[in-house]
Amino acid sequence: MALPDLLPILVIGLYFLGTVLFVVGSALRQELLKNAALGLAALGFALHTMDLAQLAAGADAAQALTAGRFLFCLLGWGILFIFLLLWWRLKLKFLAVVAMPLSLVLYIAANATAGVSAKLPPMLSGLFFLLHIGTLFASMALLAMAFGAGLAFLHLEKRIKTKAGLKHFQKDMPSLDTFDRVNHFVSLAGFPLYTLGLASGYVWAWLSARRVFSLDPKEIMALIILVLYAYLFHQRLAMGWRGRKPAVMAICVFLLTVLSMLGINFLVPTTFHGFKP
Amino acid sequence: MEKIIHLVGLNHRTAGVDVREKFALTNVADFEKSLLEACPLREVLALSTCNRVEILVVADNERCAGIDLAEAVLAHWAETCQGDPETLRSHTYLHAGLDAVTHLFCVAASLDSMVMGEPQILGQLKTSYRKAVETGTARVIINRLLHKSFSVAKRVRTETAIASSAVSISYAAVELAKKIFGELTGKTAMLVGAGEMAELAATHLLASGIEKLFICNRTYARAQELAKTMHGEAVFFEDMVEQLKGVDIVISSTGSPTAIIRARDIREVLKKRRNRAMFFIDIAVPRDIDPDVNGLDNVYLYDIDDLKEVVEENMSARQGEAVKARAIVDIETQAFASWLKALALQPTITDLLGRAEEVAGRELAKTLKRLGAVDDETRQALEVLVSSVSRKLLHEPICFLKRRTREEGTAERFIDMTRRIFNLDADQVSPDAHLDRRTLEDETIDCECCREDALQDPGDTEPQNPHDDDPQKPEGRD
Repeated sequence: MALPDLLPILVIGLYFLGTVLFVVGSALRQELLKNAALGLAALGFALHTMDLAQLAAGADAAQALTAGRFLFCLLGWGILFIFLLLWWRLKLKFLAVVAMPLSLVLYIAANATAGVSAKLPPMLSGLFFLLHIGTLFASMALLAMAFGAGLAFLHLEKRIKTKAGLKHFQKDMPSLDTFDRVNHFVSLAGFPLYTLGLASGYVWAWLSARRVFSLDPKEIMALIILVLYAYLFHQRLAMGWRGRKPAVMAICVFLLTVLSMLGINFLVPTTFHGFKP
Repeated sequence: MEKIIHLVGLNHRTAGVDVREKFALTNVADFEKSLLEACPLREVLALSTCNRVEILVVADNERCAGIDLAEAVLAHWAETCQGDPETLRSHTYLHAGLDAVTHLFCVAASLDSMVMGEPQILGQLKTSYRKAVETGTARVIINRLLHKSFSVAKRVRTETAIASSAVSISYAAVELAKKIFGELTGKTAMLVGAGEMAELAATHLLASGIEKLFICNRTYARAQELAKTMHGEAVFFEDMVEQLKGVDIVISSTGSPTAIIRARDIREVLKKRRNRAMFFIDIAVPRDIDPDVNGLDNVYLYDIDDLKEVVEENMSARQGEAVKARAIVDIETQAFASWLKALALQPTITDLLGRAEEVAGRELAKTLKRLGAVDDETRQALEVLVSSVSRKLLHEPICFLKRRTREEGTAERFIDMTRRIFNLDADQVSPDAHLDRRTLEDETIDCECCREDALQDPGDTEPQNPHDDDPQKPEGRD
């Protein structure tokens, strides 16, 4: 078996082991286990990058880049990339508990959808691909981190507010302020990316079909998400929202993007964004 | 010569504060010296703190035959403090042999402290030990026992969570603040009113990196006075709410019968500070801060009962960890017992010859491997060679030890030294041991031949001569 054939198994194995080790390490409060888990995840990430590069550099790149496998693969990669970025900038090791399983699930989903391609014309390469898919996936990866940070914030805040005491892994969790900073970062960076992603989609729709809005379920959902994201962005930056409210909002927006990505792409027959064969 | 160890002491559980203050040793060094003169003892160490007095003595069994050592120590202690011996006897505990060792380890690891897991006692024990070394009343056995107790305390702290959570109100408040804000560097705090606990909490906050401390009091002069001692800034009581917009942590402890900080005030303050989180610590009874404040987003309010609950939970968690800690103490006590047993001439000679044979055998095996097939005659000749070299090298040190054993009171020192030089007890040495005594910081502790070999052929795994690989680093206890 050649390395390219082995890559998916290796990546899944590393992500799986990393996730299990991190959860066990968090439960037992063992830094060594957590660091080992992050090491495995980093190795998995490197192989994941190789897998993506191999797809992008392959002979049938134009087809591969619009295939479901590549898109899910890219999203999983983006989530882990954003996690590594946040880990580096904010020392937020804790978010691995969200990033690793999400990347694992998305990578497994990518391989499950192998051979399934989106019905997108070949002209969807180059600039459009970078703008539309790249920016939307980056903002989704950011939202995934805000989702994890938001859940952690709500959990920790409830324990502190209700004076329920901090036990076991809660003692090792970062502070409320740190989780809130993740939310701030996601609002600040994620919303412009999401807007850019959507705008590029509309521009392409105009260029290719001479219409901006086609009442596609995906487009309707994307607009709803954009409005909510804009509200979060505005409240956070202009009105000084902090803590619980933006955390809840980020969780909702992320869940809607998941619904849009998985629910609509797979289950709605009328969308042209679908991943069905 | 067999040694006996006794420990006589009293602590916060066996004696009230009146007895503790009566029998506290004000000059420990003088007491140790006078006790050595009064009783036929080899070594003495005394520890005297506000919560306990511990007197550890070591004596020769033969010299003390027929003497009740513990009684003699008690009598001298009562005499030194000019107290009633009967009162002292009724409040003290006596431990002998390994029980004394276990007790000392428990004291060092803070398992016997009033607040279990608090580290102050270890520092106090280290200070007492340093003084005893300077006075010359701590020798081989107390040296070893105290070093061991420090390492037991370190093991307990690192291998159990006994000291991981706050067990005082003021520390609990600081820990909570860190859980809300993360690092406290750059944050500001305000102390409203005065009171010992509130001031202590403010001191802990300052130590954690708080950038600025405002002090507010109904009496402005009192606020100024406190601001001077705590390096803070005094604030008029009337300006308190206005100032709160720049304050992250508020510690309130006034004697006001009604709430002085109300939820509607804080709602306005939050708007001004753009919802940045605030942490209120209300130590006053009756409470100073309206409990509805806790209902506001990004505001956290803990009163004295809430903090007490946190402390009690942490205390019970420490009790659970104490079981693990006691298991460590038991293991280390057995290790100390083995060392004590080996601190005699014959076991040391046996260990020394055993070590020499082990090294000779290992080196011989390597040489034979490199030589390839050799006849039996050559093999036997080599075996005799390495065996006689190692035995002859040890002949003089063994004769020296035997001579010292015949002299009164010097044998243990040299036996202990020999055991340390040859690391017969296989002790692990921390790389930062005795940093304060080192003259060259970067100097490695590899022996000359090992260092030379490493420089000659660092990457080669196949040894070129019998000294090449597996260097036995000379490790001593200190």
